Amino acid sequence: MSHAPTSTAVNIQAPPAELEREPLVANQRSLGWVTDRIAGVCEGKAPLWWWCALIPSFLLFLVGVTCVAYLISTGVGVWGLNHPIAWAWDITNFVWWIGIGHAGTLISAILFLLRQKWRTAVNRAAEAMTIFAVMCAGLYPLIHVGRTWLGWWLLPIPNANGIWPQFRSPLEWDVFAVSTYFTVSLLFWYMGLVPDLAVMRDRAKTWTRKFLYGVFALGWNFSNRHWSNYEKAYLLLAGLSTPLVLSVHSIVSFDFAVSQLPGWHTTIFPPYFVAGAVFSGFGMVLTLLVPLRTICKLEDIITVRHVDLMCKVTLTTGTIVGYAYGMEFFIAYYGGNPYELEAFKYRATGTYWWAYWAMISCNVIFPQLFWFKWFRTNMFAVFVLSIIVNIGMWFERFVIIATTLAREFMPSNWGYFIPTWVDIWTYLGTMGMFMTLFLLFMRYLPMIAICEVKGVTPQADPHHPLGGAKPGGHH
Amino acid sequence: MKTVPPTCPEPQTGPQYWRSLDQLADTPEFREWLEKEFPHGAAELADAPNRRQFVKIMSASFLLAGLGLTGCRRPEEKIMPFGRAVPGYVHGVPQYYATAMPARRSAIPLVVRSHDGRPTKIEGNPQHPASNGSTDQFAQASILNLYDPDRATQFKKDGKRASREDVATGLGELAAAARANGGTGLAFLLERGGSPSRDRVIAEVKKALPNARWFVHEPVDFDIHREAATLAFGKPVAPVFHYDKAKVIVSLDCDFIGGEEETYINVRRYAQGRRVTGPNSSMSRLYAVEALFTLTGANADHRLRVAPSAVLNVAAQLAAKVLGRGQTASLVSSLGSLTGAKVADEKWISECANDLLDEHHHGNVLVVAGHRQPLAVHLLAHAMNVALGAVGKTVTFQTLEADGFGKIQDLAAQLDSGSVETLVLVGGNPAYTAPADVNWAQAAAKAKNTVRLGYYEDESFNAKGWHLPQAHFLESWGDARTADGTLVPVQPLIAPLFDAMTELELLARIGGLAKTNPHDIVRETFNGLAGSEENAWRKFLHDGFLAGSAAPAVNATFDTAAVARVLGAAQAAPSAAGSLEVVFHRSYAMDDGRFNNNGWLQETPDPITKLVWDNAVLVSPATAEKLGLGKLGSSKTRDTYKDATGGSNMTPEAKKGQFHNQVVKVTVGGRSVTGPVWIVPGMADNVAGLALGYGREKTGRVGTAQKGGPVGFNAYKLRTSQHPHFAGGATISATGQTHQLASTQEHGVMEGRPIVREANLEQYRKHPDFAKNMDLDSPGHTAHIDMDPAKPGLPKRIYKAPPLTGLHQWGMTIDLTACVGCTACQVACQSENNIPIVGHEQVTKGREMSWMRLDRYFAGDVNNPQVAFQPMLCQHCENAPCESVCPVNATVHDEEGLNLMAYNRCVGTRYCSNNCPYKVRRFNYFDYNRRPLSDLYKSAIDPRNETNGQWEFWRWFKDPSTGSKPKDEWDLMHLAKNPNVSVRMRGVMEKCTFCLQRIEEAKIAQKVKAGPSDDVRVPDGAIKTACQQACPAEAIVFGDISDPDSRVSQMKKLERNYTVLGYLDTRTRNTYLARIRNPNPKMPDYLETTAVQDEYYRKSGSSPFEPHGGHGPAKASAAADHGKGGH
Repeated sequence: MSHAPTSTAVNIQAPPAELEREPLVANQRSLGWVTDRIAGVCEGKAPLWWWCALIPSFLLFLVGVTCVAYLISTGVGVWGLNHPIAWAWDITNFVWWIGIGHAGTLISAILFLLRQKWRTAVNRAAEAMTIFAVMCAGLYPLIHVGRTWLGWWLLPIPNANGIWPQFRSPLEWDVFAVSTYFTVSLLFWYMGLVPDLAVMRDRAKTWTRKFLYGVFALGWNFSNRHWSNYEKAYLLLAGLSTPLVLSVHSIVSFDFAVSQLPGWHTTIFPPYFVAGAVFSGFGMVLTLLVPLRTICKLEDIITVRHVDLMCKVTLTTGTIVGYAYGMEFFIAYYGGNPYELEAFKYRATGTYWWAYWAMISCNVIFPQLFWFKWFRTNMFAVFVLSIIVNIGMWFERFVIIATTLAREFMPSNWGYFIPTWVDIWTYLGTMGMFMTLFLLFMRYLPMIAICEVKGVTPQADPHHPLGGAKPGGHH
Repeated sequence: MKTVPPTCPEPQTGPQYWRSLDQLADTPEFREWLEKEFPHGAAELADAPNRRQFVKIMSASFLLAGLGLTGCRRPEEKIMPFGRAVPGYVHGVPQYYATAMPARRSAIPLVVRSHDGRPTKIEGNPQHPASNGSTDQFAQASILNLYDPDRATQFKKDGKRASREDVATGLGELAAAARANGGTGLAFLLERGGSPSRDRVIAEVKKALPNARWFVHEPVDFDIHREAATLAFGKPVAPVFHYDKAKVIVSLDCDFIGGEEETYINVRRYAQGRRVTGPNSSMSRLYAVEALFTLTGANADHRLRVAPSAVLNVAAQLAAKVLGRGQTASLVSSLGSLTGAKVADEKWISECANDLLDEHHHGNVLVVAGHRQPLAVHLLAHAMNVALGAVGKTVTFQTLEADGFGKIQDLAAQLDSGSVETLVLVGGNPAYTAPADVNWAQAAAKAKNTVRLGYYEDESFNAKGWHLPQAHFLESWGDARTADGTLVPVQPLIAPLFDAMTELELLARIGGLAKTNPHDIVRETFNGLAGSEENAWRKFLHDGFLAGSAAPAVNATFDTAAVARVLGAAQAAPSAAGSLEVVFHRSYAMDDGRFNNNGWLQETPDPITKLVWDNAVLVSPATAEKLGLGKLGSSKTRDTYKDATGGSNMTPEAKKGQFHNQVVKVTVGGRSVTGPVWIVPGMADNVAGLALGYGREKTGRVGTAQKGGPVGFNAYKLRTSQHPHFAGGATISATGQTHQLASTQEHGVMEGRPIVREANLEQYRKHPDFAKNMDLDSPGHTAHIDMDPAKPGLPKRIYKAPPLTGLHQWGMTIDLTACVGCTACQVACQSENNIPIVGHEQVTKGREMSWMRLDRYFAGDVNNPQVAFQPMLCQHCENAPCESVCPVNATVHDEEGLNLMAYNRCVGTRYCSNNCPYKVRRFNYFDYNRRPLSDLYKSAIDPRNETNGQWEFWRWFKDPSTGSKPKDEWDLMHLAKNPNVSVRMRGVMEKCTFCLQRIEEAKIAQKVKAGPSDDVRVPDGAIKTACQQACPAEAIVFGDISDPDSRVSQMKKLERNYTVLGYLDTRTRNTYLARIRNPNPKMPDYLETTAVQDEYYRKSGSSPFEPHGGHGPAKASAAADHGKGGH
């Protein structure tokens, strides 16, 4: 199904080469090719590499399940938490995962509203990543409490005791913020999937596939009416999700900013956290997609230009985060509160200096390499840097949470946190869960929005020399 | 969220009510009323005693008991199983009985609370003339020994269980045999005791068995005080030291605040002599000469560190300056060789002497010598007291009954020679505590018969012969004399839980005495002392002491010649340069080892080192450096005042917050022990301190380390009869191993933060409000924040505050000048509030559960630092940071200003703990109450996890209310709990409640008393929190701050009153009174500004003694413009 360039019906001069934007789908791939390539990932026999990735991921996930079972049946003490460090890896990982979960909605909603067409190649995978990351994140607040089985007390359920949750607590806000974010992200993702599920249904060769894709495709038949409703709904949901991108991480940052510990009690936290979240979200998107585009041979859809653009976002947000780090120190100095100043001095030079400098180098120094085009376009470099960003952002949360708690007001009460094996394996277990879910996703659902990508191919543009609705043409 | 109060008990106005019954019983009005109300009752009243009347009398006596602090105990024979309820008993209302805890030569008068027939809390007897109701930490913890599952529970003969009848028969045969030969071959080894009944029984047994031999072994013996006084004053006398009356106190290695006997009285008296109520108050001054860093040294205004052997030289040099006049002048010549070597700063000694000689406080001075010091030091102290006119003022004397017991080494020699056939061990644990040069085990094995009365089947447990479990003092009848000589009863609150016998019974049985029942023996003694009137006996038991039985002070004449003789014979310490000395000291937690299996004490931090669950080889930083044993940790992020403390955090270097310290081998005289090193700033150089009481080889589950082997190391192995207290010529060598130590405080300095605020007395007089000047700017000083209309001077709150409209508004003050850091409060809190212990491993993770901690901060010179103690507990903030962050409303405020914790509602997010600036909330990381400490990490769902014979998960499924602790432990643990305080499960946050249960109890009682009237305000002083009750220094004051006349309100009005971290606008209900020190400006180690203050000054750049930014409304206008430059 290749479209050989045909002579144009309407004679429009192609723009000069230097003005021409790099097309979002490279190599003038036809619409049919796009469908085949993307849907093809989910069809046929699962490739070996997929099994090689899935099995360890799933085993890791099982280890995580075991750790959580051990934790709940034994006590939170199996983690390395102590007095004064009552939160450490649990909340670090929570915030880390939530932050990762940021890119999806940002890409799908904000970039959509901003008419950034390049989003179409990455939004589906990013949204899936968001959902899975939020699932991992949501696990932590639930299991880190002392009495998990009573976690539902955080929900505002009318009960005979007449006791309500305490709405002044940022943890309570978290419950609403995270659950709303998850719900909206899931809906948004699923709605975007519907036309593609229909594609999958139509391509299905077995009855089971046909049935299952069919059920979830909700009877989509590519009618104009469907498309028109779909587009409206998509726009509305994008509008709804946009504030959530800002709110969810702002509220997570309130867990710290609303408290009064030196190092937590800072008004810069909401924007700083949102920037950090976008930063880490893009880091994770790159980590996932850079190898996948090669493995699944999607280089023409997720082009170097896509990667380049995402690197630029990463660079921008990383720099914002760097500014926030600097500003925290400035305020600690300028604010004149000796406890705050001590806390920041301790961060940079105290017993956790290594964590602080790991954070600075990973989040501020290394991303500066993205100023150079070579680093933005060299896939290996991008992959390595994106991993560094992920590590850096983990350290950021760790530095904020654990090192702040390790030393605050009362010197008699200073402590140190050492993770136990359960801490470590629970964390790795959530990675296993994330990877398992993501691998299942990419194997069974189109990981790129087929219909949307087609909409941004050069030939979909009626003004493009190659594009336009033509008699006999098809999607 | 009010709970329905339990059925109200009979009003606590009992005495009046029942008194009127007695009084009114025969008045016509009463009869008329009774006829109307209870025609039958009236008829019966006239009759002879019958059942109904019996019931009435019984309930009357119970009400008297319920009055609190009182109790008439029926004789032991009538103790009924609780299943048969006592008439008039009201469930849930505790009874209080007076008793006493026997100590070495005395006793601590107590009032013990009993719930449903089981003792649950020990408190001091406030009516006792020599006690203010306070106790020491040992008394507080002794109740746990009662419920120790590892105590000996069975009478045993040759290792096999024997019945009580067998014991009676067996001891009867023994007695008959002994009578036949007058006690030849019979030897008794006793502990020291202060019981008149015991003395009487021993005298009778001696009469019956004249050939029996008597010995006493007390591993930590304070008898040298009496020995020295007897020698110095030529007749058997015991000295009584009045620290309250002294203006200048010099302690010659005498840890009278922590390690000596009667510390609870000493602390109280000492604190009285230093109570500061305003700038005009006067304070005593304490000089301490010591080797270890003891509590006394920590409280001293001037401290001289010298090797223990050099204390004699210092004492002699001091004496040489002091003994210039009167009858002691002649002694100066006999000091010759003693003053010899120059071991310490002469200026220190001479200025100290000048202070003693200062005419301003003539006679009101006191020199005391510690029990570790040889006789010569004690005699010098007495001589100085005589020379300074202190005798009769700060030192008085009581007559002493000479006892004439032999020593354990003599007994061992006699055993070895085979002249002892029957060995009777009454208490004690000689196999563990005997001097190392006495091979006790071998000697004891030579006796043909052994009878041992012991609380545990411990090292001294002998598989052959009789082993008789000793009754706990709460199960025994006995008596004692307290330090002032007052007679106190030891009466049982509970029938022995297991097979048990008292010392009195054993001695009486072996002596073949007619009366062997301890109750009868005690009664007979009492009859002899106070007459046989029944009422006197009842009052004695009820009050807990015999009024007016205190020993009168006797005049004593100083025997110069005798003292000169001893001093002449005393040798100056050999040149100590370079020689390493070891000091064996009584542990602040284990005593001499008798509390080794007591979890509360194992987990009570040593006041200085903050170590728990271990003893260590204590060395000074310089010595550690010299021997290469590690160094003190550095305090990072501190650059502005590095010169103040050398950048040290004053605790040994920690790796990742953990203390993996070097294990060293300490060798003295060919004997050696190994133990971990702990560096203590302020120790004398070339000295190693070894706490006794650890390293028990045969002890219970608590005294056994989690990974097997004993907790700590056994310092007795180095202790010989020649050098029982300190020994020179020791060597320390590294073994290359490390041992992890658990310390509850990893950071030892305050980093210049104004947490404990201090000033010298002179500074305080000039600037009484210095403590408030150290406050940081609070939001209240910020112009853009709206002011709270309800609270002038404070900013408006963000959230709607709970209305503080209750009738009472609870508050507390802690006087840091009074607090000596003794830890009694901490143990009291643990006992009152059912606080679990968590074990060594959990403490290394910082998970100890204590609701109250005693923060200990060092400041100043690493080699001779000053120490500040601060009891830290929930501050009950009105504007509580914990409350606003709890997502489930588990921690809330009540209208009386208490920060409440609803355990049932807590899900355990721990956010409250994170947001608490004082870090006083404690989280149950594991099910500490239900699971054995060794099983904390074992998952309940692991099928291999068979605790208590069954799979934990299955156990839980069948009955979630049980635990997986071994059954004996579980059953006894239940008995020990205070039923008025919830026992918390895992996953729940807990913290100090200001003893809410006591508050409610008092409020209910007051409401009942008030009846229809409005008089429901609890009178001031009616509620004492557990910590306050135990505090010997009376540093803690609790009460109603809405009553301007209450004591706590008075305290809060003092200028020294301040809030820790008040700038956070927490509005704490607990405030502190700044610490005042009283150094002598002429001393070489005088610091014009206290080290803590100096650190603050260097850090903040502002002095609290200069006007700079006002806080009080009075200063605000003028000084506010200055700002707070340094902050």
